[in-house]
Amino acid sequence: MTSTIGVIGSGTMGSGIAELAALAGFDVILNDISSDALRSAMLRIKAELQKSVEKGETTAIEATETLTHIRPRHAFNDLGAADVIIEAVAEDLPMKKDIFRRLDLIVAPGAILATNTSSLSVSDIAATTNTPDSVVGMHFFNPPTRMKLVEIVRGAQTSDETISKVRELALAMGKTPVFCRDTPGFIVNRVARLFYGEALRLLGEGVAEVPEIDRIVRESCGFRMGPFELMDLIGIDVNYAVTRSVYEQFSREPRFEPHPIQRRMVRAGTLGRKTKKGFYPYD
Amino acid sequence: MAGKPKKGSTPTTDRKASPAATGVSIIGEESLVREYATSCAACGMEVTLLSSDNQSFAGKPPHGVRRTGKPPASTAIALELTNTSRPDKKENLRSLDALLPPSALILSSSVAVTLKTQSAWVRHPERLAGIAALPTFLEGRLVEVILPPRASADSLERLKKFFGALGKETAVVKDSPGMVMPRILTMIINEAWFALADETASATDIDTAMKLGTNYPHGPLAWGERIGLAHVHAVIEGLHRGFREERYCVAPLLRRAASAAHPE
Repeated sequence: MTSTIGVIGSGTMGSGIAELAALAGFDVILNDISSDALRSAMLRIKAELQKSVEKGETTAIEATETLTHIRPRHAFNDLGAADVIIEAVAEDLPMKKDIFRRLDLIVAPGAILATNTSSLSVSDIAATTNTPDSVVGMHFFNPPTRMKLVEIVRGAQTSDETISKVRELALAMGKTPVFCRDTPGFIVNRVARLFYGEALRLLGEGVAEVPEIDRIVRESCGFRMGPFELMDLIGIDVNYAVTRSVYEQFSREPRFEPHPIQRRMVRAGTLGRKTKKGFYPYD
Repeated sequence: MAGKPKKGSTPTTDRKASPAATGVSIIGEESLVREYATSCAACGMEVTLLSSDNQSFAGKPPHGVRRTGKPPASTAIALELTNTSRPDKKENLRSLDALLPPSALILSSSVAVTLKTQSAWVRHPERLAGIAALPTFLEGRLVEVILPPRASADSLERLKKFFGALGKETAVVKDSPGMVMPRILTMIINEAWFALADETASATDIDTAMKLGTNYPHGPLAWGERIGLAHVHAVIEGLHRGFREERYCVAPLLRRAASAAHPE
């Protein structure tokens, strides 16, 4: 049985996964190379838990308890005590490979090494370890505490036992797991590319303007958000990076081709809500 | 494929607000004809279903709807609702164009064939407007429309009034293959079929992932079935015909499933 979960990277996803795991009653070791990042992650988790208390989703006692379950640790070797380690650093393949290479030296036999990559190859990452059968993809969605889905990604050498253990773990965290092969973008980031890609093409061809396309998508078929407001929320740079990654990994399959409008916006630094300007202004 | 219209598709518009006994004549594929006929009749419009050599309404017509061969003289608006067969669509449009007075507006589904292409088939293209008609789309609150290039001044008003009576907003878009929502949606469905074909995940997991990971209202594979795979196929084929790009190739597994579901 899993009792201790190590989380590497204390950004939005890492701290969210740590909070989620602690809420589910696991002991969590939250690791980051930056002590400052760890400190602010703990503050962020505390604030999130406070919000849950205010909304009546968690009791004050549970929130305090949850916090004590998370140990922020700067030293990489401390992760050796974890049964399952979930890596959630930036989408940088060399960085992830390096982390897994080092994990291989410190973890206990039988430990599961999961990566929260959204579009990189799990098999590539696994190849840096001596136990590729225990390496798996566990792709959470933002914010991990609220989004129900986890994509469990089977690498070329992932064992059935590993898959079954992370399935149990996802269920224990209250998530709905789906299973996919190690293909570019897995399920969601692949199929959703067309939602953005076709919308950008429609805009580029002048078929309709940004607010009109968003309105049509929301009102005619029941999508909660239009493609442009969603890209502004996600970040045009983030969306563009995923598109490029999926496109390259699919050997430049035309369906995934990044659109020049998006590239221009990334270069201009109009990245959506976070820069107060994207497809819409935010003042 | 033709099913009872889903709950919630019945317009809630006040009957008194709808134009008194607008004569609406409808021809096309049964699933779409049924949805439109039901909605129009529920709003107090006088609905007539037309038939051609290849298309006739086989099932029981919705309550209060008549069935004839030719459009009655009272027809103010005619609907051509064919997506999966260009020859049938062409024949229907030609016959509507020939039989209807020039004052009658023809609204033609333009998700698989551009309005421009259709305009070349008729003698009075100025009264031919495009609409995004796919099965289940009347469940939405908005309908996309395309105005003809030399539309008479009141065309847009009449379109808005017609859809307003059905409780729908309208959005005018430029004439382009697949229009807006059908193009985006069918390409999502197409990609889900590609993912299914290369065994990325099971059909259930693909649909679950898209609903929970991106908040789509339906999983793309189930959504394709709701719309009808023959219609989905027709929209993507129309995109391919229009753009001549590999991007718009129909997923082979989808093509196979569509022809199995709609053997013609």
